[in-house]
Amino acid sequence: MSVTTRLPIADGRAVRRYVGQVAHRHPRLLWTALGLHVLAALTALAAPRLLGDLVESVENGTTRSYVDEIVMWLAIFLVLQSVLTRYARYRSQVMGELVLAELREDFVANTLALPVGTVEAAGSGDLLTRTGSDIDRLGWSVRWALPEWTIAVVSAVLTFAAALSVGWWVALPCMLALPPLVVGLRWYLARAKDGYLAETASYSQITTTLSETVEGSRTVEALGLGAKRVELCDDDCAKSFTAEKYTLHLRTVFFPSMELSYLLPVVGTLLFGGWLYTRGEVSLAEVTTATLYVQMLIDPVDRIVSILDELQLGAAALARLLGVAQVPDDRTVSGRVPSSEKLDAEDVRFSYVEGRDVLHGIDLDVGVGERIAMVGPSGAGKSTLGRLLAGIHPPRTGAVTVGDVGLVELPLGDLRGHVALVTQEHHVFVGTLRENVVLARPGSSDDAVRAALGAVDALEWVDLLPLGLDTVVGSGGRAVTAAQAQQIALARLVLADPHTLVLDEATSLIDPRAARHLERSLAAVLEGRTVIAIAHRLFSAHDADRVAVVEDGVISEFGSHDDLVAAGGSYAALWESWHGKS
Amino acid sequence: MAFGIVWMSCQAVMPAVLGRAIDLGVADKDQQQLLLWAGVMLMIGLLQAVTGIMRHRFAVTNWLTASYRIVQLTTRQSVRLGGSLPRKVSTGEVIAIGTTDLDHIGNVMDVTARFAGAIVSFFLVSAILLSTSVQLGLVVLIGVPLLLLVMGPLLKPLQARSAVERQMRSDLSNTGTDIVGGLRVLRGIGGEGVFLDRYRRESQATRTAAVNVAKLQSVLDALQVFLPGVFVVLVVWLGARSAVAGEISAGELVAFYGYSAFLMLPLRTATEFANKLIRGRVAASRVCRVMALEPDVVEPASPAAVPAPDSELHDARSGLRVRPGLLTAIVSDQPDDSALLADRLGLCAAEQDDEVHLGGTPLTSLRHADVRERIMVSDTGAALFAGRLADRIDERGTGDVEKALFTASAEDILEALPEGLESVVTEKGRSFSGGQRQRLVLARALAADPEILVLVEPTSAVDAHTEARIADRLRAHRAGRTTVVTTVSPLLLDAVDEVAFLVDGRVVAVGTHTDLLSKVAAYRRVVVRDVEAAV
Repeated sequence: MSVTTRLPIADGRAVRRYVGQVAHRHPRLLWTALGLHVLAALTALAAPRLLGDLVESVENGTTRSYVDEIVMWLAIFLVLQSVLTRYARYRSQVMGELVLAELREDFVANTLALPVGTVEAAGSGDLLTRTGSDIDRLGWSVRWALPEWTIAVVSAVLTFAAALSVGWWVALPCMLALPPLVVGLRWYLARAKDGYLAETASYSQITTTLSETVEGSRTVEALGLGAKRVELCDDDCAKSFTAEKYTLHLRTVFFPSMELSYLLPVVGTLLFGGWLYTRGEVSLAEVTTATLYVQMLIDPVDRIVSILDELQLGAAALARLLGVAQVPDDRTVSGRVPSSEKLDAEDVRFSYVEGRDVLHGIDLDVGVGERIAMVGPSGAGKSTLGRLLAGIHPPRTGAVTVGDVGLVELPLGDLRGHVALVTQEHHVFVGTLRENVVLARPGSSDDAVRAALGAVDALEWVDLLPLGLDTVVGSGGRAVTAAQAQQIALARLVLADPHTLVLDEATSLIDPRAARHLERSLAAVLEGRTVIAIAHRLFSAHDADRVAVVEDGVISEFGSHDDLVAAGGSYAALWESWHGKS
Repeated sequence: MAFGIVWMSCQAVMPAVLGRAIDLGVADKDQQQLLLWAGVMLMIGLLQAVTGIMRHRFAVTNWLTASYRIVQLTTRQSVRLGGSLPRKVSTGEVIAIGTTDLDHIGNVMDVTARFAGAIVSFFLVSAILLSTSVQLGLVVLIGVPLLLLVMGPLLKPLQARSAVERQMRSDLSNTGTDIVGGLRVLRGIGGEGVFLDRYRRESQATRTAAVNVAKLQSVLDALQVFLPGVFVVLVVWLGARSAVAGEISAGELVAFYGYSAFLMLPLRTATEFANKLIRGRVAASRVCRVMALEPDVVEPASPAAVPAPDSELHDARSGLRVRPGLLTAIVSDQPDDSALLADRLGLCAAEQDDEVHLGGTPLTSLRHADVRERIMVSDTGAALFAGRLADRIDERGTGDVEKALFTASAEDILEALPEGLESVVTEKGRSFSGGQRQRLVLARALAADPEILVLVEPTSAVDAHTEARIADRLRAHRAGRTTVVTTVSPLLLDAVDEVAFLVDGRVVAVGTHTDLLSKVAAYRRVVVRDVEAAV
């Protein structure tokens, strides 16, 4: 097992630069959307002013026709506001979806271009989180939080400006809101992100425990773990409750402080305006309008404040998505062209962690068309050697070459034409069986696909499928067994047809009774190809041209099966007990 | 609920207070009144803040209590069903209870208090309006439910489009997960272009679907401005005419404006309540269905006495006798036969039969817990759970972890982990390879140290060197205890005391591995296969 490395996360500057680029790419959409929002917010401001007029005129005595006229204006602005709101919302949604699609596609493109070594070393967990929850979270931000926030900011600014236009005195009571607002917000934002992340984490812990209990219900019963699982579940709930209590505490302090900061300006405006009115400095209409405007400010300001932490989380997700693009390529293409198909390893040493070599000087001279089996206890370095022989990692010292050119000097596309690796890790993609096999050679004929499947003994079950090659497999499709998945993986390789193949326990999940037959039919198809098979079962070694025994990071025995048995080393002892002393 | 009612009522009377303040305080230039009403406003505002947060606290507490209770019940039910669970219901459905259903039910708990407030405040406002102006009161009483009816039909197509879009989004997310899951394959052998194209295509289709939703959603958003707006204009118009006629004051006019704007809140809450209630009911019925399941294994009405230790395990159907204290192997030409037999030996099979006896007593007439105490089956599908590695190996807390790991030849796994036994196993042990997981599961079974241990294909995913090591150590580890393994590996068979060879589910030969190899041709074919032909 290798030590996993974490993928990078983009820093604040990179995130800002990206946001800038996005804005730059769609100037028209951006400005139309923003412009429409400004107009919609402006029309919304007409109502309080008209109402103020109405109150004033009613107070001073007026006619019904004047009332009708003002109400008509009210209606006109309402229609305008509705229409503008419709288009403003629509435009910003279109913009949001566009940006979101670009972002997720860029992310997948970058992921698909990740250096092979990184993919092997980082494991899929981190990437899965980024593809799943980070894209979702960002989607939520872009789709909902960002537009809402922008609208709120626009209407808050305009409403405040409108309030000021009634008279500069309105600014004074608004100041009352600032102390509780600023203090409350700072206090809350400093704690909110961690609090909510802990809360989310506690929920996924509950889900994890539940799904383990449900999916492993048989094991739970067999091992008598029932009481323990129940206890674990109760424990998770208790932890989650603690996390929830913390955020609830945050809100218990924060929400009232916000409400207070909204309330103070309204009351203040009323008092101050009323006082000014008694002094005859402002009109009744102005007091009414100002109070209504200040009251109207509550909603957008509240939204600005409450969406802030959502945006914080969205930015964090964006940073993680952009981080994938920052992984440097681990191949340095030299442009040299291999002179032959011969694979060589010379004094290869390698370590995943500095100072802890797992391979201690390996020399391997592989003949063209030769079949080599590698055996040895787990943890001896077989898989690592396999990866180096397939050009996935560069050796720390020494060299792995094909036709005298280092494998890591070849561009990835060329490398695949020379050496390919199939591991015991098998993945069946969602799609038809045909699509799953033709990965390396899109557009292959059905005959070629069938031939490849035949070479791995898979035709028997493939032909039993009602839709044959058109059967949809993978998650959600028709279930295939682990053994069938390995056959699919091997069929891909047969179709890709490189001159050298590294098979890392590629048949380990296939029933031993069937595996041998498969290996033989595979060997027939791969006649003339160089095969290095990390073998799991001894009959694979028995069938190979030469056997390499890897122990503790070195090749301890190397030779044909018969030679090794005759030599009486560790391989011979193993064979003896496997084959039975007959 | 009380807090919800007070909270919303506070908001409901706010316009009245503002109207009074303008009428009595500002318009009449009465500073005393102005101060009084501003004070009242402040008090109501504070009361609203306090009841608001209390309502929230109670809502969250209810929400959480409901959620935790459901998760706990589901866990207990899963434990009760045990091995019967996957046979009765899809595991995905049970897990969905812990994710989506939980939210739906919790949402109902959350919205209920607000809904109660909405109803009370609606009637409160209507009453205030009616007392001021019968005409306006009726407009509100009839107008609000009417608005609800107008908005209702619009929601249907929007929900349909949203459902399409949500489905596409989740499919897209699955495609992304699929690509990442198979990234090693793609980077190893090619085909990135095909998958990028596929993702782009789906991503663009999802975008189109989302824009389709936005088309309707934006109309709805606009209507949410327009319809209440029409209502406001109507109320203001009628109110202003009454004011001109001297029937109401200027302040009351402002209050009317405030009421009509406020009424949108209970309106929205009512719609929200209806939606969430429907989903909550569906979720609750699913929970009930899972809760109603019964396990396959029924406890005997009057349990038999526990057989003496070191009793013989005997299966009448296959004719298998497991002698106490020995290491017995089951070899079968059909892998499914031996797996089923192993299940039956441990009372783990779907169908219950009386043919398996421990010391002459049928397993089915023993208490379930007693059988589990004596016999443990560790099969190929055995799950490894998340948590501290040492705890996951020694689930019962009584075993010898070091010794078990040594026997399972798992020292190298431990060495590769920077924190050794303190390392954390990830969900379902995913951070380990198949072979590593298998050895850890074996170590776990050994650490539990049951009187009778049944191991199904315990070394199918490990290499020959390691398998040989495990075979060597297993015998010593289980010395004096009863152990059954199903396998076809010669390395393991060579290390057992006795091999039972099964053909068509019946024991046809019993003996040592070497004996059977030389005497039974069919056995030789199954175990060594066609090596003969090659040698």
